[in-house]
Amino acid sequence: MNPAGIPLKEPSVSAAAGDTEQFERALIDASTRVPVLIFYTSAVGWLILGTLLAGFVSFKLHSPDLLSDISFLTWGRVRPAHMNVMVYGWASMAGLGTAIWLMARLCRTVLRYPLLLVAGAGFWNLGVFLGVCGILMGDSTGYQWLEFPSYSAIILFVAYTLVASWAVLMFRFRRGEQIYISQWYLLAAFLWFPWLYAAGQLMLFVVPVQGVLQAAVSWWYANNLLFLWFGAIGLGTAYYMIPKVIGRPVYSYHLATIGFWSYALFSSWTGMQRLVDGPFPAWMVTASIAATILTLIPVATVGLNHHMTMQGYFPLMRYSPTLRFTVFGAMAYTVFSLVGVLISLRSVARYVNFTQASIAYSHLGLYAFFTMVIFGSMYYIVPRLIGREWRYASLIKLHFWASAYGIGLMTLMLLAGGFTQGASMENPSLAFSESVESVLPYLRGRSLSGILLTVSHFIFAYHFGLMLFGLGRKSTVPTFLNPVEAEGAEVAH
Amino acid sequence: MKGLAPLFLGIFGTFAFSWVGLTVIPNWQIGHLNPQSDEEGTDVYPMPQSGMVQQGARVYAANGCIYCHSEQVRADYAGADIERKWGDRRSAPRDYIFERPVFLGKMRMGQDIANIGARAPKEEESPSPAPVSSPAAAPAAASGAAAPKAPVNPAPAASSSSPAPKATAVAAKSTGIASPSPGAPTAAAASPGAPPSAGPPWPEQTLGLPPMYSAAWHHVHLYSPRSINFDSNMPSYRFLYQSRRISDARSSDALPLTGSDAPPEGWEIVPTYDAKCLVAYMMALNQSHPLKDVKSVGAQAGAPPATSPAPGGKPPK
Repeated sequence: MNPAGIPLKEPSVSAAAGDTEQFERALIDASTRVPVLIFYTSAVGWLILGTLLAGFVSFKLHSPDLLSDISFLTWGRVRPAHMNVMVYGWASMAGLGTAIWLMARLCRTVLRYPLLLVAGAGFWNLGVFLGVCGILMGDSTGYQWLEFPSYSAIILFVAYTLVASWAVLMFRFRRGEQIYISQWYLLAAFLWFPWLYAAGQLMLFVVPVQGVLQAAVSWWYANNLLFLWFGAIGLGTAYYMIPKVIGRPVYSYHLATIGFWSYALFSSWTGMQRLVDGPFPAWMVTASIAATILTLIPVATVGLNHHMTMQGYFPLMRYSPTLRFTVFGAMAYTVFSLVGVLISLRSVARYVNFTQASIAYSHLGLYAFFTMVIFGSMYYIVPRLIGREWRYASLIKLHFWASAYGIGLMTLMLLAGGFTQGASMENPSLAFSESVESVLPYLRGRSLSGILLTVSHFIFAYHFGLMLFGLGRKSTVPTFLNPVEAEGAEVAH
Repeated sequence: MKGLAPLFLGIFGTFAFSWVGLTVIPNWQIGHLNPQSDEEGTDVYPMPQSGMVQQGARVYAANGCIYCHSEQVRADYAGADIERKWGDRRSAPRDYIFERPVFLGKMRMGQDIANIGARAPKEEESPSPAPVSSPAAAPAAASGAAAPKAPVNPAPAASSSSPAPKATAVAAKSTGIASPSPGAPTAAAASPGAPPSAGPPWPEQTLGLPPMYSAAWHHVHLYSPRSINFDSNMPSYRFLYQSRRISDARSSDALPLTGSDAPPEGWEIVPTYDAKCLVAYMMALNQSHPLKDVKSVGAQAGAPPATSPAPGGKPPK
């Protein structure tokens, strides 16, 4: 069996229907080329900036005197700058790039009104840039994940409106009756984000709510951004990429339906568990804890669905970069949710409430799950936009392992550090400063993991740059991570 | 699935459900609280803050203090906050009704500072519109001589050598509010109604430095955290201070710095307006006023016994 026989590229195309369909797809891919590449390129730029900021933040946390005399490099400004660059610059833009491409593919129509998207990307970049400058200059609003000052938030909202109106238009041009499960997630994400952003901005800045409710609204926003925006795009992408790469339909459509609706219903009610024991009515916290536990239903159905789809095809992860990243991300989604349930249980939350463990949680969601899925999709999509294959399998492998070990180490360090910190904080016979000291070794370990992630991101950016300048391989065979041997192919079937 | 309408309705419905449930209903429940007062309408708590304090809150937000410091005291069953003397009762929604933005915080790489203003030595207490008149405050003042319970080691080796008593006096005066007597007996009465045997776990007087948690102390701490607490991992905020040549006499605001932090001869370090606002903000953080619906730890010392659970917002536990 020759390598091309392994269904890694366009598996669902049977020989008979193949030609016209493949031609159509090529047309659609070509039409998405400019907008999607603009989003991806901006995203990778923000990723590099965010990574540098992250390293700075991480080192300053245990070496506080590093460059602390300069106002815009003080820890308390660089940290929100890093967070917002990653959330709005990297993750949102990369997610939008993937979502745009998927929308065109799944609507089975060439991308229309590309100028809407180009303008959207431009405004989005401008908004993030102004916002980050604002934070560094000392204009932060002080609400987590909504630190961008109002002049940046308005621009972001305009940019987003352009992209969302494009999505709605595209949906009207779609062909075919069936709405694939990925499209549910994407459509939902496209609609949830503006509602969420508008609700957050309105209730915090336009008609601000009183006192502690601001904190509740801010956490409601941050948590739902993680689930309803990033989570939905990530799951939608995984639902497309896994079946696509292995050339096999999703295991069960019923499971997918249950997974989607339970996800929408339960995950949107989480968030208040982070206010545990705070000055709030107890029912708010309890409702969110219950909702967090109930998110195990979507986790189980989605996980089972992916697992059953992959059943027997796991060895393909040896070859396909897309599959390797995506499956890692899908598994991380399960871990993310389990950790989320663990640290929201009242008895545990009491210990980890004010510790580094919550940082571990958001990195699990935003990086181990979402970013890894998006990396996977970029490895699939970029060659189809540019017409070249990724140049070096070795770089992809390095990227994967540096990312996987990096985020794994970071999660372990922050979780273990968080529990240690919490335990000594809850022990009043220890001085408070000892709880801080107890976590410092873990923070140094976290800085180490940051180095790994920095390496991985620079490798990826370099590789992406090569592709962008047309320096990829000219080939009809995608870049496999390992040379394809006959045995591997046998196992796969 | 076929048909867009049910999909759209479902997407909208789940979102609206969460929005109503987690923001609208709580807003209806605890979103319109008023300050409390006693029967005569006096002793109003909380009170709106001065402009300088509000500007200080903006400085607090701008520099990301919230990423390391929380401003909420949990109930005694929920954590060690009260045992750590971060407050003598749990925080309640009513404590925050005038705060915008509200900095509840999510991380404690630094201490909780919900009551940092209340921890100041008595005569330095923040210039709050309502002077402390709680009945519990008086008995507590007598317990001033109580020794610190927990063995904390705040005395940095460096600072014990040089500082003249004069510098301390200047610092205390620089707060502008109070009589410059940083003596020990007044320093400990931070928590009204604390049992006489248990002093706060921080020292009343750091050697050669302004009284702990006084305004002058905050300035030195912001400028050079490790000169006060050797283990601290708080960054220094030197950019909030300016160095200038002493023209004729040393400014009353000048920081009493020693050792390697001290400015060269003929120069002094003074806080900028932002720094003064930030310290004013911290000095105004004070939840020691009893709330009717929240039980204070020192209730037996004279505070009204709190029995009735809150009408709005307090989990009756």
